[in-house]
Amino acid sequence: MNLRHPLSLGLLAAAAALVVSGLLATLAGSSPTEAAVALWDGMFGSAYAIGSSLNAAAVLLLVATGFIIAFRANLVNVGGEGQICLGAIFAVTVGTRVLPDSTPAFVALPAVLVASVVGGALWASIAAVLRVRRGVSEVITTLLLNFVGLALLLLVVHEEMFLRQPMSSSETLPQSLPLVDGAHLPLLGIPRSPATAAVALALLGAVVAAVVLHRTSTGLRLRSVGLSAPASHRLGARVDRLRLGSLTTAGGFAGLAGGVLVASAPHVLAEGVSSGYGFSGLVAGLLARGSLAAAVLVSAALGLLVSGGINLQLAAGIPASLTQITEALLILFIAGSALWTTTGPRGAGRRSAGWPRRRPEPDRSGPPPGGASEPSPGPATATGSGPDGDPGPAARPADRPRTTHLEETRR
Amino acid sequence: MTAPPATAPAVAPALRLSGVSRTFGATVALDAVDLEVSPGEVHCVLGENGAGKSTLCNIVFGSLRPSSGSVERDGEPFTPSNPADAIASGVTMVHQHFSLLPNLTVRENLLLGRGGVRLDRAGLARRLAELEEAYGLAVDPDATTGALSVGARQQVEIVKALLPRPDLILFDEPTGVLGPAEIAGFLSTVRRIADAGTAVVLITHKLAEVTQVGDRATVLRGGRVVGGGPLSELTSDDLVTLMIGREVGGLDSVLAASLGLTSPEPVGSPAATTGAAAEAPEPAGSPVPAAGPAVLEVRDLVVDATDGARTVDHLDLAVPGGSIVGIAGVEGNGQSELVSVLSGALTASAGTVTLDGTDVTAAGPGPRAALGLGVIPEDRHHDAIVGELTVAQNLLLGRLDELRRFGMLDRRAMRRRAEDLVARYDVRTAGTDAPISSLSGGNQQKAVLARELSLDPLRCVVAAHPTRGLDLGAVDGVVRRLREAAASGVAVLVVSSELSELLALCDVVHVAYRGRLLGPVPTDDPTARDQVARLMTGAVA
Repeated sequence: MNLRHPLSLGLLAAAAALVVSGLLATLAGSSPTEAAVALWDGMFGSAYAIGSSLNAAAVLLLVATGFIIAFRANLVNVGGEGQICLGAIFAVTVGTRVLPDSTPAFVALPAVLVASVVGGALWASIAAVLRVRRGVSEVITTLLLNFVGLALLLLVVHEEMFLRQPMSSSETLPQSLPLVDGAHLPLLGIPRSPATAAVALALLGAVVAAVVLHRTSTGLRLRSVGLSAPASHRLGARVDRLRLGSLTTAGGFAGLAGGVLVASAPHVLAEGVSSGYGFSGLVAGLLARGSLAAAVLVSAALGLLVSGGINLQLAAGIPASLTQITEALLILFIAGSALWTTTGPRGAGRRSAGWPRRRPEPDRSGPPPGGASEPSPGPATATGSGPDGDPGPAARPADRPRTTHLEETRR
Repeated sequence: MTAPPATAPAVAPALRLSGVSRTFGATVALDAVDLEVSPGEVHCVLGENGAGKSTLCNIVFGSLRPSSGSVERDGEPFTPSNPADAIASGVTMVHQHFSLLPNLTVRENLLLGRGGVRLDRAGLARRLAELEEAYGLAVDPDATTGALSVGARQQVEIVKALLPRPDLILFDEPTGVLGPAEIAGFLSTVRRIADAGTAVVLITHKLAEVTQVGDRATVLRGGRVVGGGPLSELTSDDLVTLMIGREVGGLDSVLAASLGLTSPEPVGSPAATTGAAAEAPEPAGSPVPAAGPAVLEVRDLVVDATDGARTVDHLDLAVPGGSIVGIAGVEGNGQSELVSVLSGALTASAGTVTLDGTDVTAAGPGPRAALGLGVIPEDRHHDAIVGELTVAQNLLLGRLDELRRFGMLDRRAMRRRAEDLVARYDVRTAGTDAPISSLSGGNQQKAVLARELSLDPLRCVVAAHPTRGLDLGAVDGVVRRLREAAASGVAVLVVSSELSELLALCDVVHVAYRGRLLGPVPTDDPTARDQVARLMTGAVA
């Protein structure tokens, strides 16, 4: 088995994460077997468990798809949480205040979902405009906009003048009225399973995104902008527009995730509607390394972990937050091994394809690269002196800095 | 030519390499190289790009370990495991690209490399005074390094290399970024360092420098030593033949120029070198300067950098169709900014750029390409190619709109177009689906040329340092393509710091000086070199 293959690494990382989590479960006072059984039951124990796992996976996949689209243009969308909130707020506004009760489903459902896309996209476009016009790091802005989005959600569900249901007693919960019946996402129709059409929607979104990214000129230009903005600009790509579009689309996908959440039972908007889906979706996107097929698998795995964690708490009495620790461990292990796969044993710039790395835009003030002739010193010198005397080394800047994916550097 | 008799081999050589090989995977960078450098001699290591010169340097300086063979210093085995080791045992190196921190003062830069906890400012001042006395190397310790000229920065590098009193100094392609006057100053410094008893290894591919300052030479080709000896016994022709493995007579004048066969000295070229250049035949069909209407016209162009410095200062330029116009000059006189404005990467503060009468001052790169402007940018890796994308994608990224079918990219058409371009421009690649970063520098440049010259219509080509970092075969290809373009009526603008190359390639040469263009100097004028060299110092002709 090739240990460096991403798949085998992922399996190893998952195994390691589970072992550590098992140790933590023991420390929490439960036997590892009891915890494992509870987790298993929560994940695969019943049609209900599988169905709710799939629903969670659909939400994660939507966020992950958006993340991958933005990441193609070398933009990191950390704002899934806020975008989910805004998507949900827009969806509920349309679904409770705009549409009359008797709206048929073929109008109500699309209207609510489109509203959620618009909400998420608008929220992301704030960061996108700041990035394009002012060069403000989208990592910072999308992250901070999460807090604003969460606070907005709090505001609208607590105030009757916004979306809170009419207060009839002191026991009225701080949540919205339910969406009109027509806006409820239909179930997939699997017996005793709560899986909704969201699963199909998310898969469709991933397929469309994959086709656009891999088969169209827009996809190729996005990739090129992500790899080298100056060269892409030189070749006529509209760098700003592509960046703006990709980050806004990412927001739209996350917003749709918010819309899907409120259009599923219990069809109301309440605090904590996003409940970490924004960040877990980001994780799914990162771990998928830019591949939408991988994103589907990772989202499914994380969705199973989420619903398994709930049962862990119910059945074994272990805090469900243990699954978050497992998720975090998984990320740490995979990120650590990614460093290994992409740099090789002695840091000889090996890298896997399709993994756009965040890198600093080269400093223009330094001495001109490529100098008069001989390439910079380094192992790359070797590749030269081919049969036709071609200076292979000049092809490859041996000193290209290696940076972590989330590192933010710009002029 | 200064060629004092080589030091008698009675003393142990300062450096001796015996049978040194170095392989990287399947590639052999150095193959059983023998080399001997005596104290007090300037030993030139010559070779084309990829001949293994830098690998050799890095082995001696401790950055690389030889795969086999041995290195000795003063008769003792020498196995530095890193550059710090090498410096501690008296070997220093001046790199091709400066390793100074631009935001620090010269003093801070010089103190950086010193060991110990305490910063010995007084000791440094004493040592600087000694160096000025001995070699005439004066540096201003309080100057901010980034504000110095390239030549002054190199002086700081040399001072830095001399501080630890080395007995062997390696210079890796030291003159690549210097103007003619600075090169002359540099060469005399090298001579004084050697005369003081230090062994000097000078890595270069410029013959004129070798013949001026060297005592012995070793020529590398494809990682092997193919010849060498005392320079008093070798002619320039011998060296060229060794370097490139073919006779000088058949060399194109531009190739001869890029080797430095013509002297960088403005006056009084040594007889041996002029002979070689004069014998080089003029290529057939070299275009005559045509005074046709200007295709590319720049009027009153002003560019202010973000820090407020005026990099281009009311510059005017006209490039007629069918002619090749060159811009010479020491780097940093506004040439880079001019090219950036022409390519659409940089916005002008004032002035206009017109292409065939159309004002393109505010147009982006896309519309400019549509009007027939091809640009070969100065920094290939930064502006011209996306290394991770395939050859085909790099070739066609600018015209994806023509390659769509039902909204999808027509991959088959892409491959066909790319294969056609690769064949026509002789780009050597494993396939059009290989990442372009897997190509050699010369072939990457050919791919860029293929893309830019295959624009339809093509009206104007702006090429910045098109031959920089390329080996002879690739230089030949680039030059031929540019000449062909001009011959077909395209306006060609070439910006380069290689004066000799410009003189051989262009019809007229302008000189960039402090954001303006001086000249033009017609290159068929026998005193063209003199005139251009004088203009580079700012003297008005």
